[in-house]
Amino acid sequence: MNPQDLLQLFDDRALAAVAPLLALAIGIIVLLLSGVIRAFESLRAPIVVATLAFTGWLVASNFATVPGSVIDGTYIADRASSAWGLLFVVATLLAWLFSHRYYAESERPFQVEHDVLMLTTPLGMMLMAGAANLIVFFIGLEVLSIPLYALASFRRSRARSVEAGLKYFLLGAFAAAFFLYGSSLIYAATGSLQLAEIKAIGLHGPLALGGVALVMASLFFKISVFPFHLWVPDVYQGSPTPVTALMATGTKAAAFAFLINTMFMLPKSAALAVAVVALVTMALGNLGALAQTDVKRMLAYSGIAHAGTVLLVVAGTLAGDPESSGALHAALFYMGAYVFTAAGAFGLLALLERDGERFTTLEALKGLAQRRPFVAAALTIFMLSLGGMPLTGGFLGKWMVFSSLVRAGLIWPAVVGALLSVIAFGYYLRVVIALYMQPVSERDAALPSGQTSAGSAAPAAIAAAVCAVLVLVMGTLPGLFLDRLP
Amino acid sequence: MAEILFYVLSALALLTGFGVVLAKSPMMSILSLLGSFFCLAVIYLLAGFQFLAAAQILVYAGAILVLFLFVIMLLNLGDMGVVAERSNSFLDSTAARLGAALAVGLGVIGLVAASKAAFQPAQAEPGKALDGLEAIALQLFGRYSLAFEAASILLLATMVAVIALAKRQRKSGQNPTQNGGRA
Repeated sequence: MNPQDLLQLFDDRALAAVAPLLALAIGIIVLLLSGVIRAFESLRAPIVVATLAFTGWLVASNFATVPGSVIDGTYIADRASSAWGLLFVVATLLAWLFSHRYYAESERPFQVEHDVLMLTTPLGMMLMAGAANLIVFFIGLEVLSIPLYALASFRRSRARSVEAGLKYFLLGAFAAAFFLYGSSLIYAATGSLQLAEIKAIGLHGPLALGGVALVMASLFFKISVFPFHLWVPDVYQGSPTPVTALMATGTKAAAFAFLINTMFMLPKSAALAVAVVALVTMALGNLGALAQTDVKRMLAYSGIAHAGTVLLVVAGTLAGDPESSGALHAALFYMGAYVFTAAGAFGLLALLERDGERFTTLEALKGLAQRRPFVAAALTIFMLSLGGMPLTGGFLGKWMVFSSLVRAGLIWPAVVGALLSVIAFGYYLRVVIALYMQPVSERDAALPSGQTSAGSAAPAAIAAAVCAVLVLVMGTLPGLFLDRLP
Repeated sequence: MAEILFYVLSALALLTGFGVVLAKSPMMSILSLLGSFFCLAVIYLLAGFQFLAAAQILVYAGAILVLFLFVIMLLNLGDMGVVAERSNSFLDSTAARLGAALAVGLGVIGLVAASKAAFQPAQAEPGKALDGLEAIALQLFGRYSLAFEAASILLLATMVAVIALAKRQRKSGQNPTQNGGRA
């Protein structure tokens, strides 16, 4: 390539493709500057909302115009990556709304840093979902992970939060090293880091397979699949709840987006192995969740189980699902429903939790329906959707995953998976029972339902309500979303 | 001549590499790592990678190792023998460390040997580097321009993250070290 040709890489198509990334970058810098100037203090929240809204609009217009593969084929802005991008923007916006008044006064001085870090994560996620090159993906992974490491330990006065950040950081660093090492082996075997070129050359021999194994290990770590799921309960429980919401939804969706793009690396014969890994993950997640008394920790285990369910679509595709984009559709719809459900559930916990940590235990939720009927109703909708109750978004996601397996001829994994999903109702319904059918415990009745931190909870409450409505709409009018799938 | 130099340097790199794993004091460990990095840099030079050799010395030996040294001196770690005596877990033992290092090394050798055919030996023209600066710049600002630009956001975010975590709380009575032990 000549230096003169460089400019041709950045034509209108390329600019349109990276416009959402640029918008986020500009938003990050403006927000950072507004943190220095005291007069701009009241502008910070509008800056975050405006950045995310503008980014969302740019992503949506990319969904319509489809710029395609740009910058020497290292980044792809097609309908799939734009749909994922929209999901990331929504997940970040939800997490930010829930975090808005979550932190106690003593943690307030770091609000700008907190918002900057949160605004950085969707940039990483979009790079991951649109990456057509292993290096671009790796940079995206780090742009997502490093802010999350810091956000996980953002409540520095709480030992649990610091522990969560440290655990996530150490294990995440291992996963990143795995990915780099795996990529270097793949490069040695194929001579390329471009996904399209790797696909054309094909991955044969021990060197390439070793590389694929390492890359997959790091992806499995990010989506928290057996045997790389052990960090999840501690990290999810210890992190500030809005950050947990972002981790559970955005990170997982971004890693799945790339996993769907790199499925071709796995040999066809691995279908059964992937299915077994997914089912073991579901079993471990569901059985672990059954034993929990803390709702936040229970949702962490349930997140493991959900990751296992989505991984089943990879097995379905490897086994030869005749519908070529079946895996993408199922993963997109499933994660779409999961983003609203999990973010909503964690958000409600964050809302309840503001007056102390006690509200994440099942004990504290007893009889909540009498005191806060709307919160209880929304939490019930989220629990039923997580369990996969018909008429909620969660049901349709599960149905799409299992039908992909059946189309591919993997009947018994589909049956076992469906049975494992039924087990999950055991613990989701326990929350609903606590909300509606158990009396308020004496100790809790004495405590005021007070809101100690300043400001209204209205943004978080509205966000949770919108989530609940969307979960129901996805379940009852799925055509609205299914017809628009890429 | 170059071949002899390669073998001598490889042996040195391996020796210093084992030194990193086996050294009792962290300072000796770091210095061994420094030696290992220098040997590697010269091997890169012999293979025709001039820029890589310079970057190896500047980035690793110059920046990262100095950072390591700063941390060790700030923490005043001194002799790790005290720590080693107190913990008798298998993972801390010299045998385990040596075993892990050997296993990883042999694994890499095995992988490379098993797929030797995949490697195309590159030949540098005499006096010309395989990795000319122009070639690297074209890659960096061409194919990898997006990753290159995103790396700047990554560095910015890292800086913000580190400041947010390391800065002292502005309000008193919230010193994290006071509550740190309460799990």
